[in-house]
Amino acid sequence: MRPLGSALALAAAAMGQSPEAEFFERRIRPVLVERCEACHSSRLPEPMGGLTVDSRAGLRKGGASGPAIIPGDPDASLLIRALGYLDPVLKMPPTGRLPDRSVEDFRAWITSGAHDPRGETPEVGESTAEAGPGMPIEEGRAWWAFRPLAERPAPQTGDPDWTARKIDVFVLARLEQNGLRPSPKASRQTLVRRAYLDLTGLPPTYQQVEAFVADSSPNAYGDLVDRLLDSPRYGERWGRYWLDVARWAEDHPTTEATNRPFANAWRYRDWVIEAISQDIPYDRFILSQFAADLLPGFRPSDVRALGYLGNAPIYHKDRRLSRDVIETIASDDWDERVDAVSRGLLGLTVACARCHDHKFDPITAKDYYALAGVFASTWQVQRPIVELDPSMAERLVWDHERLYRIKGAYGNLKELDTVAEDAHDEIRAMKAEYERLERELAGNEIPMTPAVIDCGVWIDGSMPTVTRMDLRPDQPRDLPVFVRGSVTSPGEIVPRRFLAVFEAGRPKPFRRGSGRLELAEKIVGEAGPLAARVWVNRVWGWHFGSHLVATPSDFGTQGQMPTHPDLLEDLTARFVRAGWSLKWLHREIMLSATYRQASRANAEWQTVDPNNRLLWRMNPRRLDLEAWRDSILQASGELNLAGGGPSTEVDVVAPARRSVYSRISRARLHPILQLYDFPLPTQHSPQRLVTTTPLQQLFVLNSGWMRSRGRSLASVTGEVSDSRDRIALMYRQALSRMPTEEEVRLGLEYLAQRTGEAAGGRWEEYAHGLLATNEISFLN
Amino acid sequence: MPDATPPGTRLSRRQLVGSLCGGFGAVGLAGMLQEQLTGAPNSSPAGPHFAPRAKHLVFLFMTGGPSHMDMLDPKPALLRYAGERPESVDLRTERMTGGLLPSPFEFRKRGKSGIEVSELLPELGGVVDELCVIRSMYTFNPTHGPARNLIHSGNIAATRPSLGAWISYGLGTENRNLPGFVVLSPGHRGGNLWRSAFLPAEHQGTHFDNTDADPERMIRYLRNDALGADAQRLQLDLIQALNRQHRESVGGDSYLDARIQAMETAYRMQFEALDVFDVGNEPAAVREEYGDTPYARGCLLARRLVERGVRYVHLYYGPGQPWDDHKTINRNLRERCPDMDRASAALIRDLKRRGLLDETLVVWGGEFGRTPVSEAGDGRDHNPYGFTMWMAGGGVRGGIVHGQTDEFGFQAVEDRVSVHDLHATILNQLGFDHERLTYRYAGRDFRLTDVHGTVLRELLA
Repeated sequence: MRPLGSALALAAAAMGQSPEAEFFERRIRPVLVERCEACHSSRLPEPMGGLTVDSRAGLRKGGASGPAIIPGDPDASLLIRALGYLDPVLKMPPTGRLPDRSVEDFRAWITSGAHDPRGETPEVGESTAEAGPGMPIEEGRAWWAFRPLAERPAPQTGDPDWTARKIDVFVLARLEQNGLRPSPKASRQTLVRRAYLDLTGLPPTYQQVEAFVADSSPNAYGDLVDRLLDSPRYGERWGRYWLDVARWAEDHPTTEATNRPFANAWRYRDWVIEAISQDIPYDRFILSQFAADLLPGFRPSDVRALGYLGNAPIYHKDRRLSRDVIETIASDDWDERVDAVSRGLLGLTVACARCHDHKFDPITAKDYYALAGVFASTWQVQRPIVELDPSMAERLVWDHERLYRIKGAYGNLKELDTVAEDAHDEIRAMKAEYERLERELAGNEIPMTPAVIDCGVWIDGSMPTVTRMDLRPDQPRDLPVFVRGSVTSPGEIVPRRFLAVFEAGRPKPFRRGSGRLELAEKIVGEAGPLAARVWVNRVWGWHFGSHLVATPSDFGTQGQMPTHPDLLEDLTARFVRAGWSLKWLHREIMLSATYRQASRANAEWQTVDPNNRLLWRMNPRRLDLEAWRDSILQASGELNLAGGGPSTEVDVVAPARRSVYSRISRARLHPILQLYDFPLPTQHSPQRLVTTTPLQQLFVLNSGWMRSRGRSLASVTGEVSDSRDRIALMYRQALSRMPTEEEVRLGLEYLAQRTGEAAGGRWEEYAHGLLATNEISFLN
Repeated sequence: MPDATPPGTRLSRRQLVGSLCGGFGAVGLAGMLQEQLTGAPNSSPAGPHFAPRAKHLVFLFMTGGPSHMDMLDPKPALLRYAGERPESVDLRTERMTGGLLPSPFEFRKRGKSGIEVSELLPELGGVVDELCVIRSMYTFNPTHGPARNLIHSGNIAATRPSLGAWISYGLGTENRNLPGFVVLSPGHRGGNLWRSAFLPAEHQGTHFDNTDADPERMIRYLRNDALGADAQRLQLDLIQALNRQHRESVGGDSYLDARIQAMETAYRMQFEALDVFDVGNEPAAVREEYGDTPYARGCLLARRLVERGVRYVHLYYGPGQPWDDHKTINRNLRERCPDMDRASAALIRDLKRRGLLDETLVVWGGEFGRTPVSEAGDGRDHNPYGFTMWMAGGGVRGGIVHGQTDEFGFQAVEDRVSVHDLHATILNQLGFDHERLTYRYAGRDFRLTDVHGTVLRELLA
């Protein structure tokens, strides 16, 4: 044993605490709290082995195996046997032996009488881990983001002439409060480029700019917005925004045999583009993605909508791992869904409640597991998108599912074939079965799409060598609360249901199948005001480059408060009244005077509000990868507008399709996508970050891809022999405007310096230079 | 013009970062080259919390899981119980395993410290007094992917920022012409392991394929195939002149300057990188000392990069999982070790000669170790329960052994070191309190070590 250090005793005496108490507080209590109480706390419904360590009495009384400590006799104390890993069975903590020093501390503590200043009953409220959510449910219901929506009266402002829409009145009032004024209107050239890029992700051509500038009708701008909203290019732009929220991709974070890439993942992408183009009301849009097959008016092709869940990432489950490890990985899958749904659609960080009640928001661990249960009751499968006899459709689904799974399992397990006698026959059988299924399904031409079905998921660890997924179609699974997120500490079982804070009384359990339809109904129903606020805020951010709530996936107490609360409330309430119409929202925003401001900085106002939170100007923006790449391809005359179908790699230019049709991989995100801030689809991203790095510029300056675009731009202007005319044509083609005299001069000067080169090469370099400029990359 | 100090928020941010750095000098890349156009909710880079012992980190990563019992953790009991399967080794691993498999390699005491090192590692044995050998590492998952994620990012799922991204986020780079976090990986594509995840994208590792010694093949887009340096300068001058025209017409703004400046940096990087990545610029004797394999050149490049101010070089031994010796392990190790041994030792000697070892922390190891029991008679399975790593330089004590495994080398039993402990210790040497290097995301502060990790103070000099 180790004597209590004299320095420690001195320090303790100085603090008015006995050395024994000090020793307990410093060396014993922290270990009990951190390493033992997850499973041995009186707060748990069923402490493991009946032992609780959070009170003096609990330790002395012990659990099923008897007293944990015998004060004065460490060798007789069960606790020391367990902590020291001296017992063949009882080894605590099970996650790993404590450091020797700590075990020695416990010995010393027991030897000297196990002084324990705690009371006979556990101290309440000391540990925050099980102390309930940071905000009580009752109080949570009054949180601004959870309240019912109501339209707001427009405030009085001093300049009724400036305001064009109700939005403007709220913005102007805030500016006036802070002694600021709106910026002047953007020029028509700037406005038309802004409108095109915003709604279609493509800049206007020279002719389109000229036509708009020349259009003197009072409704020219409103007509332009309407025309762009009707363009097929619009769905491709705004569908892509949704795909960010849905963290859509076509494969899994890793690509082992058990989780090969999805077939047909692109069908969900195409459905999203169609749905956005058709302006399906946002509430219906959400319902479809959870349960299109359960909605009235269902058409088989709507199954594609289920790709929201059907294309979710699956983590590799090596079948040779133990049941607990596999269940942990499966619970990571469910966690991903809870997180994508709660942050993406509700702006709530529910996943924080996986290990403990939320520390700040009115969300409990039970809420978390009630939601996770919905995902433990669904299974990702391929489903047909055409009308079929129901029994045939079901057979097709399960044959495909079994082929995918058995083939993956065989790929994972085949090496066992030579060593594991008990698994031998089963593995052989797997091979025979997947080969048979492959033969049978080879001729299948019925189009399928990644989707989900209702099916409870359990983990079967009864086999000695392999762990199996135990799938029970039509039998939903309610999950237990995994204490501190650990599957080895299952607590109370929680029925599948929605977050309690949104329910008037006791939350009612979901009854229909997995509950996915009921979950979606709650999201756009009881939680509808929040879901609508979150969506309106996202749309605002995509139009302005900054949000009213600067934390678009966190509307909880740790998120930012809205810069314009009344504006957000009013706009959201009217959005819902307008039938959750996204196109209504675009018009309302784009026709506002706020949106139509110039983006030029104003030094004085910049000091007052450097980040333009009050919207005294339009934010200048860097184009995202998709708009930038598409702009370059349009400039070089190569853009191919064929839409839909299987994806192509982002650097492929034969054909040069729009960027939204690029292949998106979780395992190997294309380097160009990585370079330009494309969000990793392994998880939900609240918004895209915008970085400007030297490595991006190496791509711009040096890549064969960029130089080829320069070559194409040079060749589409190749028939013009006069250098001035050719420069002008290139400007029209690449930048949709005529060059200034200075720009022509710079061009001619450059070409003159390169006369040693072949004429073709000079012009290609020049064209490449034009495509590399800031003007193409930024939006004012 | 391109080097002019940018206006407005840039400056204040720079000052802010500078002040947070506590006079350490270097500014996070974020402060210099990157502008957030959106009002991102996150704070500025952390900067070191206290005076760092190390300014650089080199991680020599032995993908696949090298066998500690054959290299640095002698277990004579394996011979005594060869072929037997005592209860204590009846642990579940990824695959089916049989009886105990002795190591055929002889261990000898080396250096003043007398640490026992296998005959496979004669050169590392020669520098063993610089090594801090941790024989009690353990991890939480027996499968490559998750275990590799854990040691790269502190979590088994592929969703957290990598160690290098955290370091870049915290420290930035000392050399504005080179990235702060460099990954050297022969034949390996895909940035999942060196991801920045929710940290800004600039902090992701910049990957170079060092299969080939030619820097132009190593670095994507580093060189313009069509234009020489002068011609390219002309083209860039044209672009920048047009950018200035554009800036005049729309009004100056920091985001435009940021891209103008990033282009200049890219231009300079071409030449700096071409130079630094060319090991042909080293004297023949130095090249000879390291050897001439991808790994050896990687070690030499690591030294050259560290010398130029790169914060973190993460070097993979080879493509795929070279140390994953499920079969014929003895033959494989005989073939693979000489190259690894010679270059790793050369790196340590070279850093020391140049006075760089003090400020450079070198870490060696894989995602786990291997089993003392045999797989298929002549191989070893994955072993997450116990394995060996070593560190050198950067303020850690040389010539010591920390912790131990059981008598067969299966489980770490004494002074066990988790991956989180290792991360906490690495961050500590770089000047960070691992509990305070945080980033707010999804409603909470994330850190590399999550809620775990203890700094291994007994290993520090």
